[in-house]
Amino acid sequence: MTLFWLSVGFGFVTASVLAISAVGLSLQFGITNYINFAYGDFMALGAYFTYVLNAEFFHLNIWIALVFGSLLMGILAVLLNQFLLSPFARRFSKSFYVMIVTFGLSLIILNVIYSIWGPNVRNYTMPLEHVLHIGPFLLTRDQLIVMAAAVLMMLGVHLMLKTTRLGKSMRAMSDNTTLAMTSGIDTRRITTVTWFLSGTMAGIAGSVLGIAEGNLTPAAGELFLFVIFAAVIVGGVGSIYGAMAGAVLIGMATEVSAAFINPAWKLDVAFVILIITLLVRPTGLFSRPGKG
Amino acid sequence: MAERNEPVAEGVFALRCQELKKSFQGVMAVTGATFDVPQGMITALIGPNGAGKTTVVNILSGMMKSDSGHMQIGSTDVTNWESHKIARMGLMRTFQLSRELGGLTVLENLLVAPQHQSGESLFNIFFRPGRAKREERENTERALEILNTYGLYDLRDKRSRELSGGQKKLLEIARGVMASPKILLLDEPMAGVNPALIDRIGGYIMDLKAQGMTIVMVEHNLNVVEKICDHVIVLAEGRTLATGRLSDLRANEEVVHAYLGEVINASTTR
Repeated sequence: MTLFWLSVGFGFVTASVLAISAVGLSLQFGITNYINFAYGDFMALGAYFTYVLNAEFFHLNIWIALVFGSLLMGILAVLLNQFLLSPFARRFSKSFYVMIVTFGLSLIILNVIYSIWGPNVRNYTMPLEHVLHIGPFLLTRDQLIVMAAAVLMMLGVHLMLKTTRLGKSMRAMSDNTTLAMTSGIDTRRITTVTWFLSGTMAGIAGSVLGIAEGNLTPAAGELFLFVIFAAVIVGGVGSIYGAMAGAVLIGMATEVSAAFINPAWKLDVAFVILIITLLVRPTGLFSRPGKG
Repeated sequence: MAERNEPVAEGVFALRCQELKKSFQGVMAVTGATFDVPQGMITALIGPNGAGKTTVVNILSGMMKSDSGHMQIGSTDVTNWESHKIARMGLMRTFQLSRELGGLTVLENLLVAPQHQSGESLFNIFFRPGRAKREERENTERALEILNTYGLYDLRDKRSRELSGGQKKLLEIARGVMASPKILLLDEPMAGVNPALIDRIGGYIMDLKAQGMTIVMVEHNLNVVEKICDHVIVLAEGRTLATGRLSDLRANEEVVHAYLGEVINASTTR
């Protein structure tokens, strides 16, 4: 029973990382209508930016480094969209071509990380932490911060989408780009803001993944990308709230299953859930007609 | 529906098009549309099928770029501007087949319409939240008033994709009005609408004119044109055939030959 509660605790942490990354990916997909296969590498690069600020040069506190590292990733995402992806998206009406470009971008970013930081495992500079007993759960202070940050970010995204003009414009564009434009919405600016938010969330997700796992490697984001896809598809592609729910479901299922089966199989659990969802409800568990 | 009786203003125009041309893969759809839309009036854009009306409307709203020619809103040359910039200049449009932001509620459909809002900027959301919130509150109050006027108040929290065809027509007009445009471009607002609603929509259009808005409407229903439009532009084969009052155009042989005869014959044989 103890092992079960321990795994539930880890499940919350994984679900938190997954929720941040899945919502970031869904935001970007909702606006551009193509899947960014470089998203996992955005996460890794954001994590390495945090590493540079925390352990290599400025020796900032990990959470301050995370904020600046993630913002840097957000800015880089905007530039990559502006100068690389947007020209392709304008030229080709089929999103398939841009998806291929994101595959290429993924390989480029991965190799840039390898060439700068090498293949070895890196660690953030963080004080050693005592494990806290919270009810039946055993969690560190940093893991609690990761969970709190995820909850705050989900709440922030919800409030932005529902109550601000920017959020409504993003949902309008996701719903019908042509109508959004003729209603006076500057879709190019909305796309830029979305890439900034999505890139920043990738940076945060990559960094907290590094904190939660205790190390970072160049391919960590790529491996995690498949779990993110599982969460997004299970929740309902393009639905922000579906991505949140899918993240909780997949995160909990993978970690709790590790209490009962070989932990090496836990990613397979995510894909079993994905396959069952696609067979039973192909549009995702929490999807509604249309997006938003 | 009230009858119109104001004279057409001479020389004061809200919108001016000069020699607009557009072809699709060598086929000329618009071969020289030249017309002025008088300010504060209701102008009808009529013509037979294939006359290029929808193409002209798409060019005017920035959804299509013209191959040549010029377009002016007030004194500003807006030729081939992007559609969001044209909307921000004060020209809003509706569509022949109603389009709505289906995933948004009826109220939210109106809340995306006002232009130049501080809540559009991420910076303002974080650093000037009070201003953005105040604007959003004021917009919500105004949107609810407009929904009330158009009989959609009780549907405000419903997703707009769930509305009926007639309700969607009203929502499109309401969304256009919410943007406080100088010019409202209505693409067949009466198409597919029951006679009672035609009268209601006609009344709303007259009210908008009374508030000083310039209306341009593509319309096939000549009874409606007769009743509410001050000025008529006839397009045929992609060019402007004639402009003026419908009563005067009925005496124009070219117009009768190209369009009115066809419509009158169609209505008398029904």
